[in-house]
Amino acid sequence: MPKVFVYLLITLAIAASCKSGGQDKNATLEIPDSVLNQGIEISEEVMQDIVQNISSPVEMAALIKDLGVPYSNKYISPTDRVGNLTTSYQQALNLGIYAADLGYLNMYNKTTAVIDYLTSIKTLSDEIKVGQFFDFTTLKRLATNSKNLDSLMYISVHSFNEMDKYLHSNNRTNLSTLIVTGVWIEGLYLGTQVYKLSPDKQLAERIGEQKLTLDQLVLVLEKYKKDKQYERLLNELLVIKELFRPVVIRYEKGEPEMVEENGMLTIVQHDKSIIDMTPEQLTSIINATEQVRNRLISL
Amino acid sequence: MKKFILILSVCLLVMSAHSQDISQLTAQCAANAGDVMYLKDFVVKLDQGTPGGAPPTARFALLLSKNVVYRFSICTAPNSTGEAILQLFDGSTMIGSTFIASTGKEFPFFDFKCQKSAVYHVFISFKEGKAGEGVGIMSYVKKL
Repeated sequence: MPKVFVYLLITLAIAASCKSGGQDKNATLEIPDSVLNQGIEISEEVMQDIVQNISSPVEMAALIKDLGVPYSNKYISPTDRVGNLTTSYQQALNLGIYAADLGYLNMYNKTTAVIDYLTSIKTLSDEIKVGQFFDFTTLKRLATNSKNLDSLMYISVHSFNEMDKYLHSNNRTNLSTLIVTGVWIEGLYLGTQVYKLSPDKQLAERIGEQKLTLDQLVLVLEKYKKDKQYERLLNELLVIKELFRPVVIRYEKGEPEMVEENGMLTIVQHDKSIIDMTPEQLTSIINATEQVRNRLISL
Repeated sequence: MKKFILILSVCLLVMSAHSQDISQLTAQCAANAGDVMYLKDFVVKLDQGTPGGAPPTARFALLLSKNVVYRFSICTAPNSTGEAILQLFDGSTMIGSTFIASTGKEFPFFDFKCQKSAVYHVFISFKEGKAGEGVGIMSYVKKL
């Protein structure tokens, strides 16, 4: 009997490892029935497509840095509240917020703060059983040396991508959606706050084009709205969506051009998107984003 | 029972090694992209296509922003029969590819000077519809 039991244990362990490619990715998590038992309005494939569409958390930070805007810790969410985040809803949403902040900190090479944010991300990711995707020992080692910025960026962004793929493949898209929403709102908050102090046409355009992303996020969140928390989040995003409604994104046609120089290929696009947004519309988006983001970090 | 455990153990080792290989290929491919910032990867494993049919293709949606130069790189896993090709589509129009069929030229990557914020699609396939594994990488180069 003990032999059979040992075989059973070994078999289960191996089966779990085979499924997860050697990592401990077989962890389970309690998901409210109200979330799981929804009728599917859009397919998983479409959901994944939509969530993949959300631009990377480092893109907004990269634009801000390229614009020459100096670093400020006023824009990022404090980490001293991590212990108060007790539900998977709060943890996933704030994981996204800290991910966006981590991108900003990495971009400006703020290694000391990076370690603080990595610790918070580790706590939250362990809570929602996705900590296995982050090699925190390596990340912290890289963060202590500013020469390792490229590796640090690669490993941290890649870890988030892998975590997202895992959540999708394990029917935990609801958590992935929350993380992505956190990333998006923090990115928009960062962009809008920087704009308030350092107005710039390109930054305004980047804010205006968030209309495209928001439309998709709302579509995904609709799927989970039977849960009160998701419904509230959706309603807050709908307020921002309404403010984006008069923002017009129009397109001018043009043929792409292929340029080969020194053995390198470059495609120059001659199609153009143009954002029509008044200063008043932008101001109301900035204010609403600030309100929503500040409420989310006060959960 | 012992045989069963042995088979499962081999399965574990093979899958673990495979996962590590792809992970290494992704890291290597990102490093080969040059002095750019990694944003996303697209890992593919495709079977051989049927004779006369369209080559099996993996598709990924992505949102690109105006005034940004992106780099799209492709790497083929060493055990692949075919060679991976990455193509960028805007709607039904192909706007970039790592393989130019008219000249036969291949590129490990191409840069895309994006002027239109929109949803694009990356398609990855293998030449002549052969089987293979590969990874595409999207990186941020600079703002325009």
